Amino acid sequence: MRILIKNATIINSDKKEEADILLVKGKIEKVAKKINEKADKIIEAKGKTVFPGFIDMHVHLRTPGREDEEDISSGSMAAAKGGFTKIFCMPNTNPAIDNESCAKWIAEEGRRVGKTDVYPIGAISKARAGKELTEFVALRRAGCLSLSDDGTAIKDSLLLRRALEYSKMSETLIISHCEDTSLSNKGSMREGAISSKYGISAIPDIAESTIVSRDIQLAQFLRVPIHLAHISTAKSVDIIRRAKKQGVKVTAETAPHYFILSADDVEKNAFDSNFKVNPPLGDEKDIEAIKKALKDGTIDCIATDHAPHSKAEKELPFENAPFGFIGLEFAFSLIYTHLVVKGVLSIEDISKKLSFNPAQILGLKGCGKVEEGFCADLVIVDLDKKWEVRHKEIVSKSKNTPFLGAKLNGVVETTIYNGKIVYNSKNES
Amino acid sequence: MEKWDKKHILEIKEFDREEIETVLSLATSFKEISQRDVKKVPALRGKTILNLFFENSTRTRTSFELAAKRLSADVVNFSASSSSLTKGETIIDTIKTLQAYHPDILIVRINSSASLSTLAKYTQASIINAGDGKNEHPTQALLDMFTVKEAKGTLEGLNVLIVGDVFHSRVARSNIFGFSKFGSKVTVCAPPTLVPYEFEKIGAKISYDLDDAIKKADVIIMLRVQTERQESSFFPSLREYVDKFALTPQRFKNAKKEAIVLHPGPINWDAEISSSLKEEVHPLILKQAENGLAIRMAALYLVGTRKRAL
Repeated sequence: MRILIKNATIINSDKKEEADILLVKGKIEKVAKKINEKADKIIEAKGKTVFPGFIDMHVHLRTPGREDEEDISSGSMAAAKGGFTKIFCMPNTNPAIDNESCAKWIAEEGRRVGKTDVYPIGAISKARAGKELTEFVALRRAGCLSLSDDGTAIKDSLLLRRALEYSKMSETLIISHCEDTSLSNKGSMREGAISSKYGISAIPDIAESTIVSRDIQLAQFLRVPIHLAHISTAKSVDIIRRAKKQGVKVTAETAPHYFILSADDVEKNAFDSNFKVNPPLGDEKDIEAIKKALKDGTIDCIATDHAPHSKAEKELPFENAPFGFIGLEFAFSLIYTHLVVKGVLSIEDISKKLSFNPAQILGLKGCGKVEEGFCADLVIVDLDKKWEVRHKEIVSKSKNTPFLGAKLNGVVETTIYNGKIVYNSKNES
Repeated sequence: MEKWDKKHILEIKEFDREEIETVLSLATSFKEISQRDVKKVPALRGKTILNLFFENSTRTRTSFELAAKRLSADVVNFSASSSSLTKGETIIDTIKTLQAYHPDILIVRINSSASLSTLAKYTQASIINAGDGKNEHPTQALLDMFTVKEAKGTLEGLNVLIVGDVFHSRVARSNIFGFSKFGSKVTVCAPPTLVPYEFEKIGAKISYDLDDAIKKADVIIMLRVQTERQESSFFPSLREYVDKFALTPQRFKNAKKEAIVLHPGPINWDAEISSSLKEEVHPLILKQAENGLAIRMAALYLVGTRKRAL
């Protein structure tokens, strides 16, 4: 299959250019002005914007165990609709993705569905129990580029030390969920005026930043990389910024809700459980700090932390409902609307935070850029179009999002994965 | 006379090359005694040797005991389980009490690292270290060097590869110091969790890839997999350990033809070494035990007869 994209505005992390793009056999064959070669399909992209395929380092596909909430197929479709051509799924499943065969099956199932690359993230500890390491080498062989006990932090600092050391050999990136569960103490929202006003059990911001600090010190001491998931607080940002200046190999991600929503929105929405997430929504200071950190590079990338939950679970009262939002289908438009249109980030920064940097962090060669020889994973976007997030249009099996009804700028029109069109907004393929 | 002026044998760190050579050449002559019909010489007649094993051991203790007996010394075994230590006596008081019997040599195995110079302050006797925690096991390194010298003809310019649980291994540390003194290069190969912090600073190279490291090795020292340590997650499973760090026929094919394999024992076959290599590697490992006896005779003889006047 040869696809020729004409008159596209290509956005890479470091530059913007007008050109045609020829895709042949899963590779970007040529990027040039006026390509006049034969193709099986020609896409006229005048006035449209082309990004390298987005990479989401942090999704929950609920498989195995809660396929009623999401499975590899529905998750892949949601990814394709959102422009994601590589997604990394967390192992807090039931059973946990803590062994070679389970990880291998997930990657294979992703290939069978064929809409996006699905990379399993292996658990760091067996059954995510925080006691014994999993077989990192075997998990790496099964396709796990990264490992995490996401959902819970590794309490035992010695076990995390061993994990970081052992990962030097297995070449698996350790992703840390930063939360001191003694401090978060089964809280439901950020500790502050609102939690106090309503008597909601609460999580202080230092529940995150104390572990950020511990993890960074371990990574510095052992001279190994560490990646910090879903960073949400100003205090964490300060610690990460300082560590990066000292040369610590720390990278960090945040999620769209942490630069858009705050605890105020929880109150405004009458404790709708669709606003319950972990780490919890912070305050204005946190939002400003996250934006600044994205701008200055302290936070390297944006992941969705796509966390599907069933209707029955999310209609429970706020303190009883589980944490998490879905995000794959809205991430791009949320970032574009709230960061680019408002002048916080440049359009090139979208390529950086959603493609180039995640590829670098995970050591993915030959992707994260629209460039000759790179993989033919592309997203074609109409930046001028607006849309509204509607329940019935969500393709993910679960519909839990605080952004229902949000009017957003920028529509993903076409997603091309491995040289094939896997999503088109016109026919919802 | 070859060089020797040590009262104790505590650490290979503090040996110089000539002192190691003294022990090795003396061991060559002592080795022959054990092959005689009458395996006894009067070299240490009238000397009292205490075998002080605060940590369990059969192999090393037996080796030392036989060495002492073949040199005609009087040996008494003292093991932790039957000692007054279980009755609450401090280790220092034990040493002081034993000093009252005027022993000439104390052979000590103890689980605290680098503790013997402290004990030495409370006795007039010479101390031979039979393993102090994770620090050193000097007679093991000496017997390893002796075995290598017998097999290779030299201790110089060799690539020595130590594979396995280096972190907990006193054998590894003593060997690194020993072989390095002859200009041989020591590489340790283990999961990163079992390589001590900044270990390259003591002169060892570090590898996490046995398939690669084995290619250049002249001497391969396999350490015992301490499966009992798995509980604390130094590595995820024996399966993955074997997958990465066991000496298998496949891997052994990639080694040099003349490469030799040593093991301090006891061996867990199919953990650190595939049992299908047994025929090939076991004879030399058994020879290590034979050489160990000769080395220990040499060690006892040197500290028992040639220590400086106090």
